[in-house]
Amino acid sequence: MKRILIPVFLGVLFLTLQTTWLALPFIRWIRPDIVLVLTLYLGISSPPISGGVLVFFLGYLMDLFSGNGFGLYAFSRPFLFYCAQLLKDRIYLESFPSRSLFVFLFALAEGLTLLILLKALNPEHLPNLYPLFFTVFLPQSLSTALLSSVLFSLLKKGSSLLYAEPGTGIGGK
Amino acid sequence: MDGLLMEISSPFQKGSTSVINKIKGVWEGYLFLVHLHKENEQLKKRMADLQRENDQMREMVLSHERLRKLLQFRETLSSTVIAAEMVGRDPSSWFKSVTINKGEKDGVRKGMAVISSEGVIGQILKTAPSHSVVLLITDYNSAIDSIIQRTRAKAIVEGGGENRCQLKYLLRAEDVVPGDKVITSGLGGNFPKGLMIGEIRKVDKKGHGIFQYAELVPSVDFTRLEEVLVIKESPPPPAEEKVKKVKKAK
Repeated sequence: MKRILIPVFLGVLFLTLQTTWLALPFIRWIRPDIVLVLTLYLGISSPPISGGVLVFFLGYLMDLFSGNGFGLYAFSRPFLFYCAQLLKDRIYLESFPSRSLFVFLFALAEGLTLLILLKALNPEHLPNLYPLFFTVFLPQSLSTALLSSVLFSLLKKGSSLLYAEPGTGIGGK
Repeated sequence: MDGLLMEISSPFQKGSTSVINKIKGVWEGYLFLVHLHKENEQLKKRMADLQRENDQMREMVLSHERLRKLLQFRETLSSTVIAAEMVGRDPSSWFKSVTINKGEKDGVRKGMAVISSEGVIGQILKTAPSHSVVLLITDYNSAIDSIIQRTRAKAIVEGGGENRCQLKYLLRAEDVVPGDKVITSGLGGNFPKGLMIGEIRKVDKKGHGIFQYAELVPSVDFTRLEEVLVIKESPPPPAEEKVKKVKKAK
């Protein structure tokens, strides 16, 4: 139960931070997507079913608070989660640069996915959408990647403290 | 003899007094400095308190000013409105929306117009019992029926992303210049007629087709959005129109 409730609470907290403090005008252009960082962290550390449901819930919450009528995040977040699940044993994620690169590539992948979906699902032509990728999305992906190293370390440390069971050592399952 | 003794002992006395004075001076100075340090700390604390108080007062004055402006604007409207406060922004950068602290319990419904004293903000997209999501006019999915104030030319204002909109279906034959004001047409039912949407920044008649391209800067600065008004009901039709309708019905 603890393994479900704590990530849900963290997700809601991260979403609240993202819609309030991280949306302030001076930081708006480089606003890091901390919910994405949590999604990817869950992707490399959670079981596929409970983690997938949790990530879908977080994506659904994102959709609820955004002006998006298609449920794009409810689709893209579980998609990223399962991609991270597939890759977690194949890539080295213990160093700061590797984590940042991992998050950066996933943030870009999500941006491209959303862009394609927005173009495909909107019946009308959406002008000025592609420049947004470079002016807004690229700086944001970079800031998310930079912040992810710190957040990954904190989340890892937090989960090893919270989920440690007696007799199994630190972070034992 | 007395004079000689005095002459010999007085330098010692003088020296002794000077040492005493010095020690006294250092002692007093030290004590004074301690007091000064304490006093300095107290004054700094007091100054910080006063500064905080001053900031709060200034914030109250600014908030009062904004609310007064909003109230004055509210009085000019014939529709019933609900005042709300912005509590959050869109979590993603692709979409432009804000969350307000009024919802279904307060009478807010999907599609209702959201405005401020500066002009049109957007419309209600999603509602919850005590919160709602407002789709800003700068969002790609937003479209509002409008007219150019000067020429009365009709067009649709569509969101264009970061703090800009564009005019769609604006006929090429229409005379439109940068600086022209764009207002709501009142068609569609959500927005009352005559609300300021923004000002035309760029007009482009190049290319083919029957329409021209115009870019619009919203009159509302969405980065400074705090308090908004949700239009609950559209104004009733004027008395004359009512009479005409009754006559027609007869």
